[in-house]
Amino acid sequence: MSKHKWSHPKSNEASTTAWRSAGQLEDTKEFRNWMDREFPQGAAELEIDDDGTSRRNFLQLMGGATALAGFGLTSCRRPEKYVQPYADAPEWVIPGKPTHYASVIPGAFDVTPVVVVSHEARPTKLEPNKLHPSGSGVAATEQASILDLYDPSRSKAFLCKGEVISRETFNTEFKKAVEGKKVAVLTDDLNSPTRQRLSQASEAKFYSYNATKGFANRKAIEEAFGENIDLSYDFSKAKRILSLDADFLGTETQGSVQGYYDNRKVEGNDYRQKKTVEDLNRLYVVEGPYSLTGGMADHRLRIAPSQVIKVASLIAKELGASVKGCDYSSLTTFQKKWAKGCAKDLKENKGQSVVVAGLRQSKELQLLAFAINEVLGAYGSAVKTLQAERKGFGTLEDLIADVKAGKVDAVVSTTPSNPVYNAPTNLEFSKTLKENEVALISLGLYNNATANCADLHAPIAHPLEQWNDYRSGDGTYTISQPLILPLHGGVSEIEVISAIDNKGDFAAVESGNAAGLTQVRETFNQVAKSIDDKIWKQALRDGFVAGTAVEASASLNLASVKVKDAPALPVAKNGQLELVFVTDSSVLDGRGINNPWLQEAPDPVSKITWDNAAYISPKTAKDLGIYDKIVELAPKSNLVDNFGAKIGPEIEKAKITDTKDWESGKRTAPVIEVECNGHKLKFPVMIAFGQAEGVIAIPTGYGQGYDENYWRQWEEKDFWYIGTGKNDPDLVDVTTGLAPKENTTLVGVNRGFNVNPFRSVDSDYIASSVSLEIRPERYKVAQTQEHHAMYGRALAREISTYGGDFNKSLKKVKKQGADSHAPENISLYKQRGSTEWWKKDSNGQQTALLSDKVHQWAMTIDLNVCNGCNACLVACQAENNIPIVGKEQVARGREMHWVRMDRYFAKMEYHGEEPSADKGDVDNVEMIPQPVACSQCESAPCETVCPVNATVHSEEGLNTMAYNRCIGTRYCANNCPYKVRRFNFFDYNKRNPLIDKNLYKGPAGKKQVETGAHLQRNPNVSVRMRGVMEKCTYCVQRLEMAKIKQKQVLKSKVYASGKPSHEIKIKHEDLRVSANEVKVACQSACPSEAIKFGNLLNEKDDVNAAKASKRNYDLLNYLNTKPRTSYLARVKNPYKYMPDAKYIGNVTVDMH
Amino acid sequence: MANVFPRWTNFVPIKIALCIVMVVAAAITFFVYYANPEAQRVGYQPTQPIPFSHVVHAGQLGMDCRYCHSFVEESGHANVPSANTCWNCHQHVKTDSPKLEPLRAAVDKNFEGYTGAPIEWVKVHNSPDYVKFDHSAHVNRGVSCVSCHGRIDEMEVVHQDQSHTMGWCLDCHRAPENHLRPIEEVTNMAYDAEEYLKTEAGQKLVEHAEACGYKASITNQQELGAFLRSQWTIGPKESCFTCHR
Repeated sequence: MSKHKWSHPKSNEASTTAWRSAGQLEDTKEFRNWMDREFPQGAAELEIDDDGTSRRNFLQLMGGATALAGFGLTSCRRPEKYVQPYADAPEWVIPGKPTHYASVIPGAFDVTPVVVVSHEARPTKLEPNKLHPSGSGVAATEQASILDLYDPSRSKAFLCKGEVISRETFNTEFKKAVEGKKVAVLTDDLNSPTRQRLSQASEAKFYSYNATKGFANRKAIEEAFGENIDLSYDFSKAKRILSLDADFLGTETQGSVQGYYDNRKVEGNDYRQKKTVEDLNRLYVVEGPYSLTGGMADHRLRIAPSQVIKVASLIAKELGASVKGCDYSSLTTFQKKWAKGCAKDLKENKGQSVVVAGLRQSKELQLLAFAINEVLGAYGSAVKTLQAERKGFGTLEDLIADVKAGKVDAVVSTTPSNPVYNAPTNLEFSKTLKENEVALISLGLYNNATANCADLHAPIAHPLEQWNDYRSGDGTYTISQPLILPLHGGVSEIEVISAIDNKGDFAAVESGNAAGLTQVRETFNQVAKSIDDKIWKQALRDGFVAGTAVEASASLNLASVKVKDAPALPVAKNGQLELVFVTDSSVLDGRGINNPWLQEAPDPVSKITWDNAAYISPKTAKDLGIYDKIVELAPKSNLVDNFGAKIGPEIEKAKITDTKDWESGKRTAPVIEVECNGHKLKFPVMIAFGQAEGVIAIPTGYGQGYDENYWRQWEEKDFWYIGTGKNDPDLVDVTTGLAPKENTTLVGVNRGFNVNPFRSVDSDYIASSVSLEIRPERYKVAQTQEHHAMYGRALAREISTYGGDFNKSLKKVKKQGADSHAPENISLYKQRGSTEWWKKDSNGQQTALLSDKVHQWAMTIDLNVCNGCNACLVACQAENNIPIVGKEQVARGREMHWVRMDRYFAKMEYHGEEPSADKGDVDNVEMIPQPVACSQCESAPCETVCPVNATVHSEEGLNTMAYNRCIGTRYCANNCPYKVRRFNFFDYNKRNPLIDKNLYKGPAGKKQVETGAHLQRNPNVSVRMRGVMEKCTYCVQRLEMAKIKQKQVLKSKVYASGKPSHEIKIKHEDLRVSANEVKVACQSACPSEAIKFGNLLNEKDDVNAAKASKRNYDLLNYLNTKPRTSYLARVKNPYKYMPDAKYIGNVTVDMH
Repeated sequence: MANVFPRWTNFVPIKIALCIVMVVAAAITFFVYYANPEAQRVGYQPTQPIPFSHVVHAGQLGMDCRYCHSFVEESGHANVPSANTCWNCHQHVKTDSPKLEPLRAAVDKNFEGYTGAPIEWVKVHNSPDYVKFDHSAHVNRGVSCVSCHGRIDEMEVVHQDQSHTMGWCLDCHRAPENHLRPIEEVTNMAYDAEEYLKTEAGQKLVEHAEACGYKASITNQQELGAFLRSQWTIGPKESCFTCHR
């Protein structure tokens, strides 16, 4: 008898590849090494370079500390603790139970209606306000704003030319600067009715500035529709959407996206609706660098952003919009076919299709989009013209013009945009103000460049500390109420405007929040047309007043769009390059630089943390001769795949860098020096797949301040400098000429590179005429991309609606990857806790594990609507007290995020056909995000290896962690196939990881309290210490809360029936939490409701319907771990007349 | 050659060894008896800023626990009453007592020493941060205050009555019938199951149990608890996440 030897079927040569990084694509030795280890080499070792603490050194310190502790043992009696009840208890506060208030968080593009969770008057978490018409999820940037509230490095002091002054002095100085002067107020550009009302009554002139929105959009709207108009897109009414370089699902929201996702869901939001493929919407995206919207596209055309207008004009022409000029003859055949196919589809769906243009794209492109929408009949259905609240507000350009004309004596800036740092260089903001002797009075949350440059600076109140009101994206009047008094005596915008109107006299303004309340209440009375307290209270409770959107009567007033000839196509080989300044998903225009949650959240596309970099496509990198420097190639012939087969042909051996460096967090990127707009700046350069050729994309908002530790970011000491001077002791900021050291806090200092010197009003988004030099130095980068990778398996899956028979495609979902040929999971041993086991158990015989008949928790994640935006990641961090670890620790693979956002790139599938330029863009790739947290396996491999039973299975199917029992062997993480366990290598919660070498000092290190926000922490979740393993437990604290609340059923039944308690029968069903009631943190934060969570034993829970979907599959099913979290495959909906329709949405289908 | 060590030294190592064994044994005995939570915690009786007497309030006056600890059925915390709760009565009763000065300092605006600062009561029952105990989950399911806190109504100064160790918690989670009682009796400090069963309410309970087809007899706490456990589907969990999360 021969032993049965199962061999892996031979791989199809033409089969697809999916990869996460250039390293994996090229299969470098370094990547292999990295993959082979559970934690990267450096991650598991206490080893530090240069002059740092060594292991021996550390033991010495620890020994000393222990000896000292001995002296402290004066008494064995534990210290006395105190209970301090309120002297006068406030209404509604129940100690131990959070209160909830509706409020609103102003963002960069839109406001987010939220419900603020407050523990004993301490706001800790932001949840979406689902009552609100545009209340869907809380994005990462808004979620993280709660950390700013408690940031100890927040601006706390009033400043006069950088010197700390008292509030009284500030008041006098303010009065001096403002009284009888021509005052200009520079505000945010969000729609605030109270600000509008005050501005109309005020003698001061108002201007708005928001660097993330740029200048072109407003100019285009004013030209096409008139003044004070906003466009609001309602994607629920759009079945076909064309995005012209607009990241409307990601960083550039232009109205609520809820409708988009609802139309995207194959089985509807509750997974119970019978929809057909025809009901699915379709998204076309034309863009340069990959955006999250591009990742969601059914058809994505990559083209340099300056060339987008050519595609747009061709589409406009096809649709019959009147366009003049614009020569699109330089488009390739494929691009033309693509545009024509897209136009055909839009035309067929007239009245149900819409075009969205990027806000910072050229004015012509936006006008073109307006014209196309007119032809498509989008106005009145998918596009609404709303009355904005910026009547009479000038732009930053107007302000500078007025300053030059001597119409302004003082500028009071309340914009969060930091104009000194990021105003276009041709406006010369700070210089113009100085030359014209205009006083700059700035109000801000941080002492940033504007604050330090200003003549007077006051800390502004955080949005949760002040009264305000806004119109949300759909125009609904939304009230922002304070939850806490200003922690550092911050001044609100309303207070300042009122003071200006009172001759600069703060004494004449009601103090504290009273001024805000009076003014907002007055606006409310006008908006709601009522002075009834009842209605006001209802509005405060709900956070908004329904039906208050004001539609503008303006209609499109555009005869024909004249389009200038687009610049020539950038060709890297000829040295023609194009710079694109993309909005960074974390720090936006720079306002998020001091927020550690945002800094540590990996960029959704590049997965870089704590920095920005210049991104170029692989082909452009090769043309520039820099590709090999980025990816150090290894001889491929030595490499084998998981099953022992050799991968790929033998290629030329290239330089291999020291793998040790790479693994121990010293991974570096080569540096380029870019010259543009008269400035020469350096950037680390990285590969971006799917980016248009000839384009260098650099995110905005970084490089706001540097200090003496800056050199540690570089591979060699000699290469640290900024601007022009090598080893410049003052690290002079090229924009302001100031030493920027003080412009950021400990979080934002030494972070990334500033692109603003390249930008002017006209080249606010795109800059051509760029030259580039490759530098010898290398910069350290911290990417999470390759940490915890899962190699070569069909993990994120997708199918396509192409080919007519969607059911056939659906059947393919469960048969992708190893599941296509791996034997079925059949076990003779009937395992306790298996899915079948508890379902069959109805006679009550089983009393052992997983015996709970009330709750069995489970989750589904729908990849079809997940765009990878990080909202879940940051929400989890806020809910579960997850610490940040700092750039150096991230580089060593020690990040602590419980939800990891994986992102895969995959080549198009040509089904064995020869790819050609006609069929599609062969260098284009698809992008699929996949959030992975602990899957709560029923047969969890981690549990069996724990020597101390610190991770055990609960009766309800949770894989729980008893932190106080964990001794930190890390066996569990080693045995976890999903790599979702995180280990506290240091006391990240207690010691500040941002101070250089601080973590290595052990007990001698500086405490987190100085920069950390311990006040934000959730009191219901343990704060983990050093040496403890942690991971997602389905927000077990929320589950327990819900269960305990449900247990009151006995008492309420006693009260309701009047019977004695022993007569009340409580059944299992009575103790069951009602369907869809409990929401976990990631689920409630998700803007697309991609995550469903609930009880498997409650049929009404949406999670059961989702699990019944044919798209449902388990991750690594063949390992038989029986995960409770399952995924729903992504569905691509290509249009059959598009040239590449056949090849889309199949990247994982043939994987095996 | 003369012996370097005299003969008596032969026994020195044995003596030393014996001595060490005895010292170690004594140390272990000491720790087992005096350094364990039962010995350390039980009886902890700190002095409070106001000599509040539960004997007077809960015992003689017969006030319900929930008048002061008002959120015990709602919240995880059994709140210590805020100063204005005390003031509800004490603005009329014994207002001028010097013992009540800390209260007046907190709440009485006409008092010369008024500060408005909360009273600092010393915590008697401390559980570690990693233990999440929820009062409402217990009192709403028929576990009495007495089970964990003892006869508070007989304590002039409150002390810790039970050890509150994890083993002690698990004893009850494994056999809740030893502590379950009708919801109406949860705050009854003097409750005794056998006495209760003799009362009219107790008789009705037994009758109801029989009417429901409950087979076993109900004569003592265990039997009463077992009936209530089945009646209310009480299944306390023993897995870690119940208290640690």
